Amino acid sequence: MYRKQVRRRRAVLVLLVIVSLVLLSTHFSEGEGGPLHSVERGFATVLGPIEEGADRALKPARDLVAWFDETFDARGENEALNAEVQDLRGRLAAAESATKENEQLRKLLKLGPGGGIAGYEAVTARVIGRSPTVWYSTVTIDRGSSSGLRVDDPVITGDGLVGRVTDTTAGTAQVTLITDHRSAVSATVVPSGPSGVITPEVGDPQDLLLDFIENEREVDEGQTVVTAGWTSGRLSSVFPYGIPIGEVTEATIGEQETYQRVHVRPFADVRELDFVQVLTQPGDNAQASTGAGGT
Amino acid sequence: MIVTPRIVVRIALLLLLGVILQLSFFSRISVLGTSPNILPVLVVCLGLLGGAVLGAVCGFAVGFLIDSALLQTLGVSSLVLLTAGYLAGRYREGFDISSPLICPALAGALTLLAASGFAAVQLMLGVEAPISLLVLRELVVQAILGFLLAIPIYPIVRRVLRAALVEDTPRRGRLPIPFRTA
Repeated sequence: MYRKQVRRRRAVLVLLVIVSLVLLSTHFSEGEGGPLHSVERGFATVLGPIEEGADRALKPARDLVAWFDETFDARGENEALNAEVQDLRGRLAAAESATKENEQLRKLLKLGPGGGIAGYEAVTARVIGRSPTVWYSTVTIDRGSSSGLRVDDPVITGDGLVGRVTDTTAGTAQVTLITDHRSAVSATVVPSGPSGVITPEVGDPQDLLLDFIENEREVDEGQTVVTAGWTSGRLSSVFPYGIPIGEVTEATIGEQETYQRVHVRPFADVRELDFVQVLTQPGDNAQASTGAGGT
Repeated sequence: MIVTPRIVVRIALLLLLGVILQLSFFSRISVLGTSPNILPVLVVCLGLLGGAVLGAVCGFAVGFLIDSALLQTLGVSSLVLLTAGYLAGRYREGFDISSPLICPALAGALTLLAASGFAAVQLMLGVEAPISLLVLRELVVQAILGFLLAIPIYPIVRRVLRAALVEDTPRRGRLPIPFRTA
């Protein structure tokens, strides 16, 4: 009797491990339109409305936890902020001239005061789900293909770029954030102009890396990084030019390296997303290729 | 554990509730700089109460649900969580749960194992970006949060499954067991 139980237990374990490995390898190797992806989208479609309802119902509880978290952080930050006030007073005069420069830059980047991008329509969406691990930096939003969203549409907040749409169902869409390890965004530093590729550092959502900046190009702390929006023949970046990404915090030049390693702090806090805007191109029926995060 | 259709429905609802709560609440809050993950804790509790087979099946189901809901690579979470559920069940089958701290400690340890396993699978599948040392902090903090979360979750799961637990079956109305001599 006991042996039979042991055999059954082992059989169940082996079966489940084999099924998991088959699912993993099949899902990993098949295309976006494969049967497993379709099954997955079916589940996501069913779960979408439930997630949306739960998201609304649990908002007060989330806000309560966030309040405790912010209060806890604020106490620790108080002393540091006092020191910063002294420093900021000195910078106030410089800030006034920077404001004028900012207005000029906005015109240069064709950004409106609200951060709107010409030629795109913004669809506002609520974040209804989020991956629990640092290895998948993705969120689920409550708008999908029925609202005109398509794969590779840029996703922004009032602060700047947060990611792009990587999968859609009728009522929901998956957004891969710029902090996901599969993300790569072509970006440029303004106003000096060197361009590179923004990649994340897994596990640290407050630090992005701007790679492939040649050593001769000068990059200073505090400069703004925006999407490069390149076009080369029939190929073009999925992100239009000029969406703010972040601010340069550090630029290091290795002795034997050709490229600088520029650290960028993103403007948008991807850990605290409630609403986002998806930039859709009206009348564009072409489905962009998803590639390996190539943007 | 006596598994009846009613208990299966209860377990299914419990798993669905766990996944929804994880997606809409726990993944969206920040505690000690990371988001708590209740799914390994839930699976460990089910394994401790129902044994290795139930733990493994529930781990697989929860993993499948969370991967589907987030449109992630199917099978990764299932593989990791079924291992956690199976190990919790094997512990229950081999040892007595003599201290109230055993469940939280096991939940913390298996949450660490699950998070490490998930990281290992991701590294095998290929990570296209540098990895911060903060990932290690994330693993440790998630284990600590797993320990703390198990303290309220285990009694809740136990209460939901009480009707199926042999040792928790209400004694009232049961026929007295006759005394036997050797």
